[in-house]
Amino acid sequence: MFRSTLYQKFMNLPLRAKFLLSFFLVIFFGGLLILTIGTRIEHKTIFSLAQAKVRHDLAAAWMVYNERLNDIRDIVLFNSNRDSLQKALLNNQRQVLLSYLNRVREQFKLDILTLTDAQGKVICRPTQPEKRGDDKSSDPFIQRSLQGQVVVGTDVLSREDLLLESPELAQQAFIRVVPTPKAAPQTEKVEERGLVLKASAPLIDNRGKIIGVLYGAVLLNNNFEIVDRVKEIVYKGEKYQGIDIGTATIFLYDLRVSTNVLEANGRRAIGTRVSREVRQAVLIEGQSWVDRAFVVRDWYITAYDPIRNIEGQIIGILYVGMLERPYIDLRNKVMMTFAGMAGLSAIILLIILFSITSSIIHPVKSLAEATKRIANGDLNHKVVIPYRDEIGELAQSFNQMTENLKKANQKLLQWGKTLEKRVEERTRELKEAQDSLIQSAKLASLGKMAAGVAHEINNPLTSILLNTHLLLESLEPDDPRRESLEMIAEETTRCASIVKGLLEFARQSPPKKRKTDINSLLLNTVQLLENQAAFQNIEIKKNLAPDLPPLELDSNKVKQVFWNMMINAAEAMPRGGTLAITTRLSTDKNDKKHVEIIFSDTGIGIPKENIPKLFDPFFTTKVSGTGLGLAVSYGIIKQHKGNIQVESQVGRGSTFIISLPVEKEDRRQGGSHE
Amino acid sequence: MNEKKRILVVDDEINVCKSIRQAILREDCEVDMALSGEEALKKDAQKAYDLVITDLMMPGISGLDLLRELKARRPEVDIIMITGYPTIRTAVESIKLGAFDYLPKPFTPAQLRNLVHRVLKKRQQVQDQPVKQKPKDIPPGLFYMIGHTWLKVESETKGRVGIMADFFQSIGRLVSLDLPEVGQIVQQGEPCAMLVDDMNFSYRIWSPASGRVTGVNMSLKENLDVLPKDPYEEGWLFTLELSSLEEDLEGLVQSK
Repeated sequence: MFRSTLYQKFMNLPLRAKFLLSFFLVIFFGGLLILTIGTRIEHKTIFSLAQAKVRHDLAAAWMVYNERLNDIRDIVLFNSNRDSLQKALLNNQRQVLLSYLNRVREQFKLDILTLTDAQGKVICRPTQPEKRGDDKSSDPFIQRSLQGQVVVGTDVLSREDLLLESPELAQQAFIRVVPTPKAAPQTEKVEERGLVLKASAPLIDNRGKIIGVLYGAVLLNNNFEIVDRVKEIVYKGEKYQGIDIGTATIFLYDLRVSTNVLEANGRRAIGTRVSREVRQAVLIEGQSWVDRAFVVRDWYITAYDPIRNIEGQIIGILYVGMLERPYIDLRNKVMMTFAGMAGLSAIILLIILFSITSSIIHPVKSLAEATKRIANGDLNHKVVIPYRDEIGELAQSFNQMTENLKKANQKLLQWGKTLEKRVEERTRELKEAQDSLIQSAKLASLGKMAAGVAHEINNPLTSILLNTHLLLESLEPDDPRRESLEMIAEETTRCASIVKGLLEFARQSPPKKRKTDINSLLLNTVQLLENQAAFQNIEIKKNLAPDLPPLELDSNKVKQVFWNMMINAAEAMPRGGTLAITTRLSTDKNDKKHVEIIFSDTGIGIPKENIPKLFDPFFTTKVSGTGLGLAVSYGIIKQHKGNIQVESQVGRGSTFIISLPVEKEDRRQGGSHE
Repeated sequence: MNEKKRILVVDDEINVCKSIRQAILREDCEVDMALSGEEALKKDAQKAYDLVITDLMMPGISGLDLLRELKARRPEVDIIMITGYPTIRTAVESIKLGAFDYLPKPFTPAQLRNLVHRVLKKRQQVQDQPVKQKPKDIPPGLFYMIGHTWLKVESETKGRVGIMADFFQSIGRLVSLDLPEVGQIVQQGEPCAMLVDDMNFSYRIWSPASGRVTGVNMSLKENLDVLPKDPYEEGWLFTLELSSLEEDLEGLVQSK
């Protein structure tokens, strides 16, 4: 749940943020991992190097240490073989011995140089000549030398021994124990024993008899010769921030008795103790210790070796240490450089990434923008991405899609328009067909009715007309009633003419068709009419198409139609005008051929609302006239399977288009009449 | 002319009968009425009428049946057909069956009187000159509407039209003549020309055929007298381009 919402949150981020965040995470964790591993490796490398070095340094320290031991042995051995010393001993010349030994001791800087007899009793001790006669035969060195060996090693001298040798030595050896952190608990407050480098050699006379033992020693407590020498030889006195890099220490057990490790106050850290760990490893387990260790007040990379006496017992520790801080600092410096470089790389990467994501996101954004615009209906918007990568391709596809969409849209629009147009067309056609049907129905029913009605009406009209006239005849010429009667007669006559028209209309005998040239039929009608008074001011323009196919029609009836058309045109132009008569061959949408006869006048025109009623019987706008002319014409044209259409504009004129089909099958039958 | 002329008006509508009777009632005439064809035949049997004016459409015996019957009984009787539903077919049929004329309803007293006058005048002349030949010299081969017009078929599509000689017996001296114009379409059984006599009566001339007028006899305009004198030759009215000869001939009588 949490993860999914986190994921959701991430997915909701802007693309750029997503990119950057992903890359940042990769860089961050990658960098961190590399840094960690690097640190480890570096640490290990540096420290193993350092440890190797410190191990090496320890070896060097041992060389210095052993050199000094050998030095003492050599002195002891050399002098034990001196004839003068043997003679003086054999001759018991104490004064000679004293001065000789004292001279040698001073010359070779030995703290102790003592001579015993063949039993191990001290004969001569130049450091304290009055102390003699003490038995050293229990001393392992003396024991072995009494058996003829030259012995050299490190030894621990008790305070009593030291006091015997020299009270100054005992004093030199005295060390106050300093409580040291990390050290093992210790009850003693002072150390009075002394750690010494010691050698002993037997004095052997000419006959090979051991006549005494000479032993010498150097006290290491508070003696910094070896440690400083180690520092000098191994570390060449190098310092780091005022602190010696290299340190060396000689422990008596776990107590620093000789060292150049300094305390905070700059004093040598004599009296401090080794850490518990080292003590355990080196003193108790007798192993070498190489590791970092906290020495007095700093971390050192250290190496400890146990110091053993000649019997193999551990009595102390030799130590060398390198200040860790330079390594740490080096390491830190490397780490810092590494981290800095990593950080810089990350920043550079991020900058590059930013610009790369920009170059990716910008087109994506413009695509998104374009999508929005298209969604809002702007199909003219184009995405311009000049690259040829996937996004470029996408943009191209997108533009293509938009283009297609636009085309489809246009098509749809166009289709919609044509559909509308077609619907309109069909509606009009339907309406025309319906109108025509209605017209035909009207005509048919009217025809039937007319026949019946005409007869019935004509009878009363006969009575009225006759009697009116009879009355008129009976009146005096100046009788005022004449006017009324004349009016009755006139109106009755008008009724009669209406009925007559109706009858003519109803009397639709089947047409007698024969092949007719429509142009000459038309010209004929024009000829008849153009000299009539109604056409005085009318210009007749004829535009007749030559080579029209002859039509099968009842020329008398069609002529009547032409007659009606022309009379109507003339009546629409009481003040003159132009009547254009056109014939032409046309082909309708069903590929059927028609001859069209067009009468176009410049008359008063027909109001739109009147056009549908135009062919209704008795529809007339004229004061005189029966309103049957156009109805009859319509009927005749319908009998010929033709059509009459009207186009008109009030004030501009009307156009009547008569179309008659060119019937092929009729032609085959020849001009037979019905 | 001591004997009163006997006229019978036949119409199924009493008002029409009465009105017609009123219109033509003259001192020298006896006008009777019949409301059906049956009644008319009955009355005619009792009293031989000079003139029968009969409606065409009547219940029972129709006007045409009556015409046929009367003409069969007494060929000398004159009959005027009147109808509220005039058609060319019935008009032509009537003339062919020997009707004197055919008058569509409604008409004025003058129109009817004119016809009656013509009938009476003709009968008077016939009575006065009983020896005088009737349509004696109708040239053979002519097609004609009895008492009206003739058609001379010159070719399959060309014809010549004139007025029958006996027509002039029923009218006064001609004073004017209206002829159709060239190019005009005329139809059988419809008026194609108009005559006016010295009594100012006008007479419609029925066209014997249908077609387009191709020429008119212009000489008649100058000398109308040629018309009654030589009705079959010099007195022709106009030439026609015949449009439906075959059909037209059915409504015409051919002279022998």
